[in-house]
Amino acid sequence: MIAALWQNLDYAASVALFCIGLYAIITKENLIKKFMGLNIMETAVFAFIVALGVVDGGEAPIMGPGVEAPFINPLPQALILTGIVVAVSTTALALSLVIRIWRQCGTIEADELREAE
Amino acid sequence: MRRALVILLLVAVSLPLLLAVSQLPPHGDPDNPPHVHIAPRYLESGPEEAGAENVVTAVILNYRGFDTQGEVTVIFTAMAAVVAVLVMGSTGTAPAERSAAAVPVSVIVRFIVRVLAPFIAVFSVYVVLNGHVTPGGGFQGGTIAGALVIALTLILSEQDARALLPRRPERLLQAAAPITFFVVGIAGLVIAGDYLAYPRTEALRWLTTIMLTVVELGIGVGGAMVIATIFRTMGADR
Repeated sequence: MIAALWQNLDYAASVALFCIGLYAIITKENLIKKFMGLNIMETAVFAFIVALGVVDGGEAPIMGPGVEAPFINPLPQALILTGIVVAVSTTALALSLVIRIWRQCGTIEADELREAE
Repeated sequence: MRRALVILLLVAVSLPLLLAVSQLPPHGDPDNPPHVHIAPRYLESGPEEAGAENVVTAVILNYRGFDTQGEVTVIFTAMAAVVAVLVMGSTGTAPAERSAAAVPVSVIVRFIVRVLAPFIAVFSVYVVLNGHVTPGGGFQGGTIAGALVIALTLILSEQDARALLPRRPERLLQAAAPITFFVVGIAGLVIAGDYLAYPRTEALRWLTTIMLTVVELGIGVGGAMVIATIFRTMGADR
């Protein structure tokens, strides 16, 4: 298993990143830090899918004179561009909700908010 | 106790993932499943068929144009939601005295932003307009332009910052990306017979390029406005 993991180190790295994000979401009480964790998890998924599209020694999929195969798979990149935009959208909405919570309650610590209920 | 539970959970999550990852086909192998189905076709005929030498752009704007239209709608909706959450429901807490207590921007930041601003602006236009032949495109260029607006907002006074974004057609520009997609989609319906289709014939190649450029511009302007608006709405009162 270790040898196979070493071969797929890129994928393993995104698993590690995913766990870091999950850790932040679970343990941090500050809502902004929680959303940072969520963003790290999103980044892990993006990195994983982009890594799936890599071809060894491949060039960027931009045609034109002087480039030759192999090319990197363009599909994951296009998919992830969409994913990044959606991630930005959710982050913006989440942060605006945090601002709203701050205005209403005066705190963005999850435990303090739970007490205030 | 809590810490132990968290570590246990993380192990329970990461072990199956690592196990699955270790059984994937080797990273970078040209014969991996993602590379053998539809990607070769895109790579082979993308430039002629879709009219964009950058195949990523071809996939985004042409093969999967519907996806991208949904995407620009998502980011526009997010902006609308941010405005709704922060502006519409606010209980009139006056955004009057702002930035009296804020940290003054240092001279260095001010100077650097001023020097770099024109270059950033030119670069964003370049990235937007050249997206179909070089790395880049509407979203990337729009984000750069949005970042420029944010940087300028940081160093300028409230009034000057407000003058950065035009007040009059503001709503229209914020919706630029979905509107452009709709217009170009209808144009494709008229010209090529399908919504968001582009003319395929060699004689109409220039028309495809124009349509792609218009879509890129729309995405760029819309994206920049959305990012700047989100930023400004969040910083409206501090």
